[in-house]
Amino acid sequence: MNGHRYAVDVPVGTSLAAVLRDELGLTGTKVACNEGHCGACTVQVDGVPRLSCITLVHTVEGEVTTIEGLRDHPLVESFVRADATQCGFCTPGQIVSAAALVAVSPAPTRDEIRHGMAGNLCRCGTYPKIEEAILHWRD
Amino acid sequence: MELRQPSSAEEAVGLLGNGHVALAGGTEIVPLLRDGLLRADALIDIRRAVPRGIHGTTIGAGTTLAELEVDPGIPVVLREACRLAASPQLRAMGSIGGNLLQATRCWYWRLDFPCYLHGGDRCHAKDGRHDEHAIFGNDVCASAHPSDVAAALLALGTMLRTTARELPLAELYRLPTTDDPQTTTLADDELILELEVPIPEASVYLKAMDRQRWSFPIVGVAAARTAGEVRLGLAGVAPVPWTLTSVDDLDRATPLPGTAYKLPIARALVARALRAVATG
Repeated sequence: MNGHRYAVDVPVGTSLAAVLRDELGLTGTKVACNEGHCGACTVQVDGVPRLSCITLVHTVEGEVTTIEGLRDHPLVESFVRADATQCGFCTPGQIVSAAALVAVSPAPTRDEIRHGMAGNLCRCGTYPKIEEAILHWRD
Repeated sequence: MELRQPSSAEEAVGLLGNGHVALAGGTEIVPLLRDGLLRADALIDIRRAVPRGIHGTTIGAGTTLAELEVDPGIPVVLREACRLAASPQLRAMGSIGGNLLQATRCWYWRLDFPCYLHGGDRCHAKDGRHDEHAIFGNDVCASAHPSDVAAALLALGTMLRTTARELPLAELYRLPTTDDPQTTTLADDELILELEVPIPEASVYLKAMDRQRWSFPIVGVAAARTAGEVRLGLAGVAPVPWTLTSVDDLDRATPLPGTAYKLPIARALVARALRAVATG
């Protein structure tokens, strides 16, 4: 994960999100709904966004990338420039999803952004600014 | 709880049943376990046991919705149903086999009310809130099946191959009765392995949702024209994915007070879908 290897000992049924937060102290990944609806817990596995709250950790195979692993991604600065956070709780998941999107589609259209980001809810309603942040992520 | 990871379908079948539950993408099973709606002594991770990928007209049951959505060889109706089915994260996780077996979104069922599907003696939705519920097949249970993908596959005339048999998709489903709450005919130790999906001349999937981005269907209408014959599959209208043989079948709907609004939506979408496949 994030270029490192960790050994953890947890019971079957434990979620990836719980291991990240409670075992490894990587609390950048947030848990909001805890049932796979909101996207706050999004991480990448081999570059593909997944919901860590409903992913059982024993079934994960591949390189996990969390928001901590994207510390130096240009999207972080772009979200700040666009003022794309309000309370900030959904922001880690937003950036993890956006990073996967721009890796596949470096110049996404507004429609691609709306489709690709549809699994990340923001209850503050910063969607227009998130869209701007992703449109201009390389500026 | 224990986790087993069999490497073949035969091995998986030997492990399933008696409280041992199959797990693939986990998007359905994990929340159900967490909510106490499903109990498992062991989880059988079937991802190495079930085929994944697309070979001509054959789709492995372990193929994800995200993989189907972007494959140009997949009929439009199925690609669109996959695209509209759920969020990007869920589409990247969920398998097509699991999608066919998903449980109802009925809030009474999800909140563990003692309804027919939970072995109880009534349908709480009929007397309560049921605006997302059924307009067909709702004599006993008024729940609505949420699978967009199943509607698309019904319209395409899909055949399933399981570890025990081959069957048309429609035969995977059964309406629940007062003495048997099952909505599928799949045995506890039976796995869907592959889907055989005929290529149509034209197809379309139209979905009414309560918001523009992913949501469960209010009404989903799939239409496909194969060898000159048009088939219709509907999502969100009955306790199981629903086949219409013609637009006249809509006259036989049995809407509840709260679901009556779905009927004109279904009529409009069916008319549009039929026009689309007549020329497409």
